[in-house]
Amino acid sequence: MKQKQPSNNKKEAHQLKGFVLKALLLIAIVFLLDFIIGTTLQYFYFKQESGFLYRTTYAIEKTKADVLIFGSSRASRHYNPNIFTNRIHLSCYNVGHDGNFILYQYAVLNAVLKRYQPKQIILDITHGEFAIRQNDYERLSALLPYYNGHSEIRPIVQLKSPYEKFKNLSFIYPYNSLLFSIAVGNAAFNKQKMKDIDGYVPIDKFWNESISAPVSLPNYVMDSIKVKTYESFINDCVKNKIKLVIVCSPYLFKTTNSDNSIDLAKAIAIKNKIPFHDFSTDTSFVNHRQLFADSIHLNNGGATIFSNKVIDKILLF
Amino acid sequence: MSFVPVYILILGFTIGVDYFSAIAIENAKTGQRKWLLLLSLVANIGVLSVFKYHNFVNQNFSTILNCFKLSNPIPYLSILLPIGLSFHTFQAMSYTIEVYRGNQKAEKHFGIFALYVLFYPQLVAGPIERPQNLLHQFKEKFEFDLERIGEGLKMILWGFVKKIVIADRLAIYVNTAFNHTGQHTGATFLLATIFFSFQIYCDFSAYSDIAIGTAKVMGFQLMVNFKRPYFAQTMADFWKRWHISLSTWFKDYVYIPLGGNRLSASRWYVNLMVVFLLSGLWHGANWTFIIWGALNGIYLVIEILTKKIPFNFLISIVPQKLVRVFKILLVFVLSSFAWIFFRANTVSEAFVIIKKMATFKGPLFYENPSMLIYSFASIFLLLLVEMKQEFYTGSFSFMHHKSWVVRNFSYAVLIIILLLMGVFDGGQFIYFQF
Repeated sequence: MKQKQPSNNKKEAHQLKGFVLKALLLIAIVFLLDFIIGTTLQYFYFKQESGFLYRTTYAIEKTKADVLIFGSSRASRHYNPNIFTNRIHLSCYNVGHDGNFILYQYAVLNAVLKRYQPKQIILDITHGEFAIRQNDYERLSALLPYYNGHSEIRPIVQLKSPYEKFKNLSFIYPYNSLLFSIAVGNAAFNKQKMKDIDGYVPIDKFWNESISAPVSLPNYVMDSIKVKTYESFINDCVKNKIKLVIVCSPYLFKTTNSDNSIDLAKAIAIKNKIPFHDFSTDTSFVNHRQLFADSIHLNNGGATIFSNKVIDKILLF
Repeated sequence: MSFVPVYILILGFTIGVDYFSAIAIENAKTGQRKWLLLLSLVANIGVLSVFKYHNFVNQNFSTILNCFKLSNPIPYLSILLPIGLSFHTFQAMSYTIEVYRGNQKAEKHFGIFALYVLFYPQLVAGPIERPQNLLHQFKEKFEFDLERIGEGLKMILWGFVKKIVIADRLAIYVNTAFNHTGQHTGATFLLATIFFSFQIYCDFSAYSDIAIGTAKVMGFQLMVNFKRPYFAQTMADFWKRWHISLSTWFKDYVYIPLGGNRLSASRWYVNLMVVFLLSGLWHGANWTFIIWGALNGIYLVIEILTKKIPFNFLISIVPQKLVRVFKILLVFVLSSFAWIFFRANTVSEAFVIIKKMATFKGPLFYENPSMLIYSFASIFLLLLVEMKQEFYTGSFSFMHHKSWVVRNFSYAVLIIILLLMGVFDGGQFIYFQF
């Protein structure tokens, strides 16, 4: 076999050294850019004073309201805190967050409980709350900007994937796909455009389409992690002596059967002696399209009626 | 996607049959060789038929029987389609065909042949290699070549940008529209169709880039699979640039054996249609894919027919650049129209989408402006890079700049773009399902 020339070996070693040095330089440039851009994004993210992203920051880091309303986009569109404050004379904030369910709510509850104890919590749950949906875990990315500063939310964010710990070593990663939203959130016009009333986002639209025949809800397998998180939410409220009320707010369409998640949520609530109120079949809302913006969201008029109804039936009862 | 270990046996079966068939073909007398090849092809196509086409054929058979008020006694199979089955089956078939044709010697080393079928960078989504290109490489010794490794890593990086920054970003809008056909407007479908054209290209070519790049790092040279297809000026040119390893597979093993363009004009058209119908069927067991294939076949036939029409007088009065842009746009529109069938969940949904696009009523859907801004920005990035590669080959290049500082900085910028704009959740390579 032909032996390699020593000069070739030297050349190869020299090449390899150069390659390693260049690779190290690349890693250094990436770390530097990641740090500079990530830190800049972090600064502007937390500098926002209005908008969708700001509401999360306010819920996690700032609110000291007596009454907190937790839930998805349905919560943020259905409960007007002004009505609550005016009628029960307690400060109120709506923590509801689009596309996020019990996992997100529990993370925010943990962050809130680390700072203070609210007097009352209303948890709004939806049809399919405990259904198995990968999306619900992926949407926990809304909490990534808080991952490094809030150890209490980390276990929930880590449900997204086993690699979140490592991904969050990057300074940019928590702000992935948020560049435009952060820019808009810092723009002056955003304060005018993104109006919210203590977290409540009113919709001034009416459902124009016809009312369909009663809808049959599918049976589905429950996500045990979500169910356990719901139980933890209840337990933490009980442990901290917070008055908890669980509500399923109205839907436009009549259904032929009850939803699996609502049935289970109700059973768990009853077991824990927590008041549970199901408005999903309330005839003053079902099929009243003038009260809805779409099939699952009340419009501002509907939300006003509903908020008053919640106060009458639950809080002042 | 799930992992079923027993499915490894499918690969084992294909490898075993093709290994022994090829050796037998090489040693057999002329008359027996054809039968041995047939045995190998039947085994390969048989596996593909059971896993990919049985339920589709059975469903259509049931529909026909229902017309005569008869029930279908053949049961449906409750099985998963192994990932990349069509890819490695076609690669295995090309081996026995080439041995039969005498272009390739039968591989005696079972391990090397198994590696040819199982070579992991291109096992699940190609490129579909030929034995003449790949098999001999497994016997060669490679020197540690830093330049080659660097080139491979660059391809992998650009592949990840195409997949995570572009394809997965566009997929969000595309899936929202195409999975809720009844709820969206013509304007939304028009945009979703354009997005899908770029999504499928970036998704699939990204996989090829990563596969070719990975192989390159290890010292192996895989065939080029995409050459900027959306800059094609004719449909024929498009198919020379799109999924080249599959197009050439069909050309070598179906089109030319059928007679190609050496027979009468009508037979030539039939040959083209057969190839594209088979290509459609290869992509999936659904009428949507078959129509997609048929449409592309029809485009090519029309292109051949219209070649005889003298457009020269028009071309002479319109600036050349404008003609080129028009041709590129026309090919993009035609291929995008065909992609509607490829992406739609059913044929009837595809027609609903086309009808809505034709009437063009209603507002454009977007959840928030950033959804569209990121999508357009990602397409812009792709076009910028590909226009440079297509039209300005010798000009300034960040990734191949002579200064390593510039080069390193450009790689770092791409990694930062990945972190900043990449979609890290829920994306999967579309071509895994074939």
